[in-house]
Parts: sequence; structure tokens; C-alpha cells
Amino acid sequence: MSTPGMNASSGSPGGSNPEYVTARVRARRGVLFDDDEYSKLVRMGPAEIARYMEESEYEREINELGSRHSGVDLIEYSLNRNLARHFDALLGFAEGQLYDLIARYLRKFDAWNVKTVLRGVYTDADSEAIETDMIRAGEFDDALITRLLEAGTVEDVVSLLDGTIFGDGLEAAFEDFQETDTLVPLENAVDRAFYEQLLSDLPSGEAVGLYREFLEAEIDFRNVRNALRLARSGADIDPGAYFIDGGRLFSASEMTTLVENTDELVTRIRESRYGKKLSEPLDELEAADSLIDFERALEGVLLRYSKQLGNVHPLSICPVVAYILMKEREVTNIRAIARGREAGLSETAIEQELVIL
Amino acid sequence: MSLELATEASNVVLQSGAAGGPALGPAAASAIAVGLAAFGAGYSQRGIGAAAVGAMAEDESLFGKGLILTVLPETLIILALIVVVLIGL
Repeated sequence: MSTPGMNASSGSPGGSNPEYVTARVRARRGVLFDDDEYSKLVRMGPAEIARYMEESEYEREINELGSRHSGVDLIEYSLNRNLARHFDALLGFAEGQLYDLIARYLRKFDAWNVKTVLRGVYTDADSEAIETDMIRAGEFDDALITRLLEAGTVEDVVSLLDGTIFGDGLEAAFEDFQETDTLVPLENAVDRAFYEQLLSDLPSGEAVGLYREFLEAEIDFRNVRNALRLARSGADIDPGAYFIDGGRLFSASEMTTLVENTDELVTRIRESRYGKKLSEPLDELEAADSLIDFERALEGVLLRYSKQLGNVHPLSICPVVAYILMKEREVTNIRAIARGREAGLSETAIEQELVIL
Repeated sequence: MSLELATEASNVVLQSGAAGGPALGPAAASAIAVGLAAFGAGYSQRGIGAAAVGAMAEDESLFGKGLILTVLPETLIILALIVVVLIGL
């Protein structure tokens, strides 16, 4: 793996190999759990789910972790580890431009790891507990992750990340952190650094153009979700601080005014280019007032969008990103089932939690 | 890419052939045809082969299917060989 400080636009040598990568990705997509398997899983207890997973894709991870963890923890850690293994493999066999694009998207997990470490250090969790929650799928190498885990204070973490894509943003946000003593500015800086490098100097080409539109949709959906959550919570927070640049739906200042008026926000979404895809969930949102259902609908729409894009441009980054999203979704779904069963939720309640295409 | 090569090659052929009489006999011309067909077949096999190896890496039972799909473009060269038989010989 390359060094974490590597410039996003510097290509690895050689041309890309989309044929090879998409063939492997499609095969892996084929073994993801389908509707039938989910409906089976929903009826199982945590121990049965673990046994079921042992006979599937997750065999290796369940066996590796089986002696150390049990129950729902075992399921959750195996899911994370399996996710990391598959995504690491993606980086292993992609080359050239395709490698760069995949690596950029997978830095999502670097962002996740940084946030996990920050939260862990902030709450004085021991490094072993933090380590189990890490998803080693991004570009950070093991040495950096070990050093991050050993860091004792938030300041250490920030200085360790100097030179990575998160370095500048975190340094700037560190002053805010010292003033307010909350992690929010740091976490926002991490998110923003991730989305900035995701969209900055994308190569040209029709497929990448459509991919950019997809990324913009992802950012827009994230902004919509944050806006609705802020509006719902009624807290007196500056919405601009949560705004992620790069979307097409609205600007930071518009978001601030729209948060105060939810009806206007909904009308805005309806009139945008996502209006058609989101009309049904929006109707439900207005009728039932349930934000959770709407957020799940957003994810479903994004998933379908990525899948459709993968069919339009089969030899590009698109099917790879569709696979990444679907795999992530599978992990979230299984976790929801396991946690739901543990908490004694009914089958229908759990089924509502799932996003299945 | 291969088209550019082909037009360039034909330009060279036309210039040198201006001295009188065809510069290339039927045998040489059909040899070029086979070469170009092989180039095309090779190019398409590059993509198919990469995808087939990728599929095989995930599931070894796909070896047969991958092999068949990879060699399908060979038909291009076989057709070019027919041209050789018809014209060159």
C-alpha cells in the first residue's frame, strides 16, 4: 500500500485494468446475501447468525475471532474485518487511474478510523477497545494506525495526521476544539477533507463525469440528512458548520435558511433533480413525520443509483463503487439484524431497518 | 489506433508504388491483412482475457467458459486466413 500522504492526483504507474477488476467485483457482488437469506437471518438468534455466517463468505473472520469474542460482538467484528479484507483486496488488484479512484473513495474508512481514534482518545477508552472498532480498509498503513492507537491526547492524534489529507483541516479545527472542548469541529474537518479530495481534480471522461454526478448526489443527500436532523433537533447550532461543499442542491448559506423552514426544504428537494426519485419518501416524510424512514429511503435511492450507473458504464469505476456501497449495506444490514435480535425486536421491526434492493 | 496505422501504412505503400506497377503483390497484401486481423484479435483478447482471469480468480469453475470466451476473437484470424487462400495463393 502507498503512503498515506500520497497526493490524490498522482497516478500509480501503468494503465488501469477495469476488465479484470470489474470481473472480480461482479463475482463478489454475486455472493452477497439476497432477500431469501435476509429473511432467514431475521428469524435467527445471534448464535445462529454467527453459525450461518461461518458457512458463508465470513467463514475466515468468524474462525479467526471466534476464540476472542462471542455473540453479537463476534458478528460485528467479523463483519468489519471481512469488509476491510475485501476492500483491501480491491486496492490490491486495481491499477492506474482506477486504483486512484477506488483509493479516494476508500479513504472514507480512513476518515472513519480517524474519527474513531479521536472519539476513543477523547473518552479515554483503552487502545484495545479502539482497535476492535477500526476498519482497516483505507489507505493508512498499519504503522500509522498503531501510532494513532498509541496516541494519548487529541493533540497527539492531530500532529500524527500532519501530512495526510486530513492534516491541514484538523490543524485549523484544533483551535476550535480547544475553545469548545467538543469533537464536532474536528469531526467536521475530517468529513470535509474526505469529500474535498474525493471531488478534486477528477480525470475527464464520460464515465468519470457520471461518477462525479453520483458523488455530488451522495454529498447532497448527506447535506439533506444533516439539514433535516438539525431542523428536527431544534438545537441552536450553526448548520453551515455541518455543510459539505461540492453538492449541487444548495449552498452553505441556503442551508442555514432552509433548516429553519422544513416545508421550504422539502419543496426545494422536490423541485431539484432528485425530485422524481425522492417523491415517494418525501410524501411519507410529510405524512408520517418519520426521519428514520426517510434516511433509509435516501440510502436505498443512492444504492439503486450506483447500481444503475454500473450497468451504464460496465468498464469504469462505477460498478466498483456500486459494489462498495452494496457490501457496506450488507454489513449494516446484518449488524442491524444481530443487534435487533439481541434487543428483542420483532421480525417486522427488524425488517423495516433493512435496506434491500 | 490500428486504423491510423493502417492508413499510414497504405500511404507509404501508395508513395513507393507510384514508380509503376503494384508495389505489393497479392501475397504480400494478404499477409498484411492477416497481420492486421491478428492485431485486432489480440486487442480484443486483452480485455476478455483480463476479465476471464478475474472471474476465474473468484470462481475456478469458470475456467471453461473463460477459455471459450477468450479464444472467440481467434475467428477473426481464421477469416483472414480464408482471404489468404482466396487471393494470395
